[in-house]
Amino acid sequence: MTRRRLLPLLLALLLAGTAGVAGCTGDPAEPAPPPPAGGAAALPGPVPTDLALRPAPEGAPAAPAFTGTLTDGTPLTAAQLWADRPVVLTFFSSWCTICADRQDALSELAATYRDRVVFVGVAAVDQPDDLQEYLRAHRVAYPVVVDEEQAIWRSYAVREPPAVVIVAKGGALLRGWPGGIEVADLDQRLRELVLAETP
Amino acid sequence: MRRRTTTRAGALLALLLAGTAGVAGCTGDDAAPEDVSATTVRVLVRDINLRPVGADCAGTGGYQYFHHKAPFRVLDGEDRALVTGTLPAGTAVAVFDEDLGVERVPTYCEFAVPVSVPQRAAYRLEVAGKPAHDLTSDSSEGPALVAVVP
Repeated sequence: MTRRRLLPLLLALLLAGTAGVAGCTGDPAEPAPPPPAGGAAALPGPVPTDLALRPAPEGAPAAPAFTGTLTDGTPLTAAQLWADRPVVLTFFSSWCTICADRQDALSELAATYRDRVVFVGVAAVDQPDDLQEYLRAHRVAYPVVVDEEQAIWRSYAVREPPAVVIVAKGGALLRGWPGGIEVADLDQRLRELVLAETP
Repeated sequence: MRRRTTTRAGALLALLLAGTAGVAGCTGDDAAPEDVSATTVRVLVRDINLRPVGADCAGTGGYQYFHHKAPFRVLDGEDRALVTGTLPAGTAVAVFDEDLGVERVPTYCEFAVPVSVPQRAAYRLEVAGKPAHDLTSDSSEGPALVAVVP
């Protein structure tokens, strides 16, 4: 008798629970997690039509071409970026104190030149969570390649972060700074080496 | 009903007494805190990389795991952990004691970590889970446990 009364009650509870779970999966109020910083959303837009550039010096060596993967798994081909505008490569790690000291200003500079000069971070010797924390803390809004095997670091002879490299439109290697460069100086060098305009 | 309550109270009392005995056992001689001495773990990573002297640095080449925030453990001779922590940034020290006239010169990367350790016959330093390096006592610049890598 007791079992007969309990069985329908248990079934009703089970169905109610299932409906509740189904409701949770379709909840429109659940906010989607933000996309990883440094991923596809950080890729540049079209090149501005008024972008004026200095010609690359004759005899400048070609920058080592590379392909890589952004923080969200998006593939990136560097040569496609520098085919139509200059590129600044910033080699860094989330634990690098010099990188962190300069990163806020570097993020601002990258925003100033957005779409005119593409900044690309190349991170190595790092952990994904630490990297994301660093990118968000320093408002890094440009694409970041995860160089897990350090193949890109090696091709640019980077032994230790930070390092900064300027590549001209077309792929000529213009300058590199092992140990990095102060952001104001980098801005000055961009104006001297690649830009024929003031953004 | 009353009998059941009495039984539960007895069980609780037994657990309490057992717990007290356990705590008393922990405060016995076996677990007495050891005296510790303040010292500094100094590691010189001889990677010979070009840097400004005094700049923050990390190990390079095969010693990249020596870097700021890397986890470390100071072990005794039987591989028991005495201290755990994370490394500070290293500091670039000149390889050659002469003015080369340029900002970036050949340097080593030195790490210095203040720790307090109990007296042991031997100490070792493990960083990022890699094979540990022997530490040697050196008091030439204050109490220190030093390693030179490689």
